[in-house]
Amino acid sequence: MKKNLAISRAALKNSSLVISAAAMVISMLISALIMAICGYNPFEAYSAILTGAFGSLRGIAQTLAQATPLIFTGLAFAFAKKASLINLGVEGQMYMGALGAALVGITDLGLPAIVHVPLAVLAGFLFGAAYAAIIGGLKVKFGSNEVVAGVMLNSIAGYFINYLLNGVLLAEGSSVAQTERVCQTARLPRIFSSYQVTIAVFLAVVVCIAVRWFISHTVLGYEIRSVGMNKKAAETAGIHISKALIVAMCVSGGIAGLAGANQVLGVDRRLISDFSPGYGFNGISVSALAADNPLGVILAGLIFGILRAGALELNRSTGIPVEFVDVIQAMVVIFVSAPLMIRHMGKLTRIFRKKPAGKEV
Amino acid sequence: MSVLITYLIPILGSTVYTATPLIFASVGGAYSVRGGVMALGLESMMMCGAFCGVVGSYYTGSVAIGFLSGILGGMLIALLHAILCVNFRVNQVISGVGLNLLATAMTTLLMQVIWGNKGTSEMVASVEGTLGGPIPILNAQSFNFFVMVAVVALGWVLLFKTRYGLRLRMVGENPKAASAVGLKVHALKYSGVLICGALAGYGGAFLSLDQLNMFVRGMTAGRGYIAVAITILGRYNPVNIVLSALLFGFCDAVQIYLQGQGIPAQLIQMLPYAATLIVLAVGVRRIQPPAGVGQHESD
Repeated sequence: MKKNLAISRAALKNSSLVISAAAMVISMLISALIMAICGYNPFEAYSAILTGAFGSLRGIAQTLAQATPLIFTGLAFAFAKKASLINLGVEGQMYMGALGAALVGITDLGLPAIVHVPLAVLAGFLFGAAYAAIIGGLKVKFGSNEVVAGVMLNSIAGYFINYLLNGVLLAEGSSVAQTERVCQTARLPRIFSSYQVTIAVFLAVVVCIAVRWFISHTVLGYEIRSVGMNKKAAETAGIHISKALIVAMCVSGGIAGLAGANQVLGVDRRLISDFSPGYGFNGISVSALAADNPLGVILAGLIFGILRAGALELNRSTGIPVEFVDVIQAMVVIFVSAPLMIRHMGKLTRIFRKKPAGKEV
Repeated sequence: MSVLITYLIPILGSTVYTATPLIFASVGGAYSVRGGVMALGLESMMMCGAFCGVVGSYYTGSVAIGFLSGILGGMLIALLHAILCVNFRVNQVISGVGLNLLATAMTTLLMQVIWGNKGTSEMVASVEGTLGGPIPILNAQSFNFFVMVAVVALGWVLLFKTRYGLRLRMVGENPKAASAVGLKVHALKYSGVLICGALAGYGGAFLSLDQLNMFVRGMTAGRGYIAVAITILGRYNPVNIVLSALLFGFCDAVQIYLQGQGIPAQLIQMLPYAATLIVLAVGVRRIQPPAGVGQHESD
């Protein structure tokens, strides 16, 4: 009995890690099956992904470049989730953040880079936060469903930015909807001169650590967690629920805005219409794989960054659609949220192999 | 009077036409929520319905089989949603969002496998033309107008005037009590979600086979989420849902009409989404979902 208790306690501690790992493996296996059905060789594909992501300096740079926005958006989603808010508006907040960074970035303020860059990044954060505040305000004041509000605001942000990019912000003589290049002094330095990965990847890691500290060591962080776990209990304890919800939403949106700032100041060096291939929604998968843990987001962002970078290489060489990475990501969200199902699958496999032949993975 | 005929009548005609897929999906959503399962996966059911509808029509050349495959496509996603939410007690919001991601990714992937193009499918056999005739507004609709009216009427009767409807609503209000009096809670929840999938799938097929004649990447464009808002605004009642859907249809129709009038297109295209936001803020304040949404019979 005592032994059982000890085991279950240990199991509880590791369970989210086990479930995330199992969800990842199951998702990759199912994707392999789908690939095979569609007529591609999954072994070839996965090995090509790994060599694509690690085989060269270019691959590693590509991996980090892909991971950067994923870490930001994953962290944004995870932060709102701490207050049990589902922030589906990350994509729109990222676009608004990109707009903020672009507005400061393309304006020649006569400042040195050491001031101009942080200022532009801060503008990205603030624009994202302000845009997320709309969702928080609607939720607190009117009890609106934040999921639907988030999706609507995504569409509105997209149209609004396209409107600006086809009008007042359109670069002179450009046939594509994009702004002027951002000033030299506002550019995020790249780590390798010829690749798109910028120092924002370090910023992403630092922000993850800061969020982790904020959540577990500050009063506000504690309040947000309490509201997320049990609203009624938090209210009884005298916690200002509306404040906690709005702060959670704003910080989440701000972090999403940083993803946009990195895109504008580091990757494209201008604001381009429809730049995101869905980073905001990928963040949901990153956060799910990380079990909403801010430090886990770094690892999860890297894992999906590897898949994405590898898949881009793969697409170039074999023509396998990049979208199957999206399929893996969507399945991770579903499987991580269904621990009962994974346990069920575990039981099934145990029934099928009555005598376990050595240690299988 | 002539202004009325030249502007208002066509706008009202297209109001009904654009509201039709939303009505299908939202009536489905009402069944899901009345049975106690949130309907945030409507987007994925519509997406899958739109895609499967085109696939069915592409391989058989028959519009009827297209719509039938649309229904089955929606039900496939609904089945997944039901398994996750009813059997494995997944957070219903996360399940819905996850399925929406999955449907977007899978349809884009399969488009490349089937048609070798990730933007649009090939053109397929679709609903040809409108009813026509002398009656204004009705002459701008297709036969699906009558399907929609039938779905709303039957949907209302089934939900509020039959034993099945009463049982479904009881499961949605209080699964424990329903289980205690011997109702098959799981079966009833499954039925609500599957009806939802069938109707949302039909609504999706309407987008790809009636309004268009092909599948376009991400073609539902948030309509599933708008349908969620309509379901709430319509108080989970098929008849009220028609009224709230017409409101959104009107915004869409005005938006399409205004596009030729010199106002920047991007600003006008925001209209339906902004309307949804406003409705979420002021329209749905005091509307409570059934008390048992998200609960299980043995918590």
